[in-house]
Amino acid sequence: MKELNKEQITKGLEVFQNLADSKLVTHLNSCVHCGLCAESCIYYLATKDNRLTPARKVDLVASIYRRYFTFTGKFWPGFVNARQLNKETADEMVDLLFGACTMCGRCTMHCSIGVDIAFLVRVGRTMLSNMGMVPVTLQSTVNAAVETGNNMSIPEEEFIATLKWMEEELIDEVNDPNAKIPMNETGKKILYTLNPREPKFFPLSISAMAKIFFAAGESWTLSTKMYDVTNYAYFSGNLDEARLIAHRLWNEMGNLKAQTLVLAECGHGSRAFRWEAPNYLQEQFPFEVKTSVECIADYIREGKIRLDPEKIKDVVTLHDPCNLVRSGGIIHEQRYILDQFIANFVEMTPNGTDNYCCGGGGGQLAMSEYNDRRMKIAEIKAVQIQKTGAKIVVTPCHNCVDQLSQINVFFKLGLKIKTLAEIVADALILENEPG
Amino acid sequence: MATLEIEGRVFNVDGDGFLSTPELWNEDVAKLFAKYDGIADMNDKHWSVIKIIRRNWEEKGMAPMIRTICQETGVKLREIYELFPLGPARGACRIAGLPKPDGCV
Repeated sequence: MKELNKEQITKGLEVFQNLADSKLVTHLNSCVHCGLCAESCIYYLATKDNRLTPARKVDLVASIYRRYFTFTGKFWPGFVNARQLNKETADEMVDLLFGACTMCGRCTMHCSIGVDIAFLVRVGRTMLSNMGMVPVTLQSTVNAAVETGNNMSIPEEEFIATLKWMEEELIDEVNDPNAKIPMNETGKKILYTLNPREPKFFPLSISAMAKIFFAAGESWTLSTKMYDVTNYAYFSGNLDEARLIAHRLWNEMGNLKAQTLVLAECGHGSRAFRWEAPNYLQEQFPFEVKTSVECIADYIREGKIRLDPEKIKDVVTLHDPCNLVRSGGIIHEQRYILDQFIANFVEMTPNGTDNYCCGGGGGQLAMSEYNDRRMKIAEIKAVQIQKTGAKIVVTPCHNCVDQLSQINVFFKLGLKIKTLAEIVADALILENEPG
Repeated sequence: MATLEIEGRVFNVDGDGFLSTPELWNEDVAKLFAKYDGIADMNDKHWSVIKIIRRNWEEKGMAPMIRTICQETGVKLREIYELFPLGPARGACRIAGLPKPDGCV
């Protein structure tokens, strides 16, 4: 393997220079090595491998900072465990920061002194991105989004044909020839977004949300140019690419003159746009942004949709996507929705902001390199679900849906995995219900 | 590179179990991969889905949209998910010998 070149090292170390505030340096210098974070991390819990504890990940990034930016680290690196940025260090960073972290942020919640560990992991990922060391599988998903406008490289005509197909399904299902999946209409109240895996492979969630908009009498549209809610660049650590992707969605709101951007059920997409984009774009939204979870909850609250409590008899549990719940604070809305019509609802333990990650976050699903580890940590979630006795797992995140679907097959759980829109659409009461 | 052994045959695969050299695929390989996923016997519907996916990949270099799969095979959308419990990507595309598609799959 080739040693790092000078340019790579310079670029890697740039993350510690010209800082806008003291957050990074404060957090890099604060870990007191109490070890509490270990028990919060699914990688440590599943493997009991000390190397995978969050504190070790923090120290890896901090040790490089010490080596180049502190007096003792520069002259007596051995005394303060300061590490040189070389191939060996960078490889270890790739393995721990990309390969053994879903950036779920559970460690950050449990840290005894409030170190933002997930933030430090992302800074480490940015270093690796600057050095051109993002795992190829993750980078190829980012490249697809940057080059084609969506992360699965779906051609626009294929996308349009899929929406028309789903519109026919919708017309049949709601028994109304006027039901529509509007495309590129200007001046609508809502611009809705999608995760590209929906049109490519799992379009039932598109017709489900369209059915909800139909029932609520909503004024909405999709864009066929820019509809991708995901932003994998936020996970690869390349903020220039993250900005480019976020700007496209931002601009499309202007192009179509919509009032509210509704983000599809996508944890990281919601986080990367709604909660993080104003920080990395240094700009406030001139329009409203909300998640489809809040949108559906509002429809129920305002009496715009009604749900049939007799429809779903199975035991249902809820998986909380880390980015939506722990990071975004969308905790009660999904429970409020399910409480309207699910008779047999059982919570997982722990749940809400303390829930365990599904194991597929932080770009893990895209990175084939770490598949074995990903299925190893998934056992925690499998056991957690099994203990609820549920037959249906609902989760408002397509990425979690995919990981949970694999868990379902791998651990032979015999479950149905659904998005929130799908289970709501199943129980919608329509005026024109076909007999 | 990882390897996957099914009934004595060893395949080079990526970390997700997708064939590293898609050109080495044939119907016997498909049967073995299907068996590995718990599909003991591939029926006509399985085969029609697999063949459309394979043909699309050979002609266009990518997995087809689920719409193309359904419309060309006549298999209903919901049935695809029953035929391939791991779904069209990790299930059907893998059995058809394609590289893993990008994105949240």
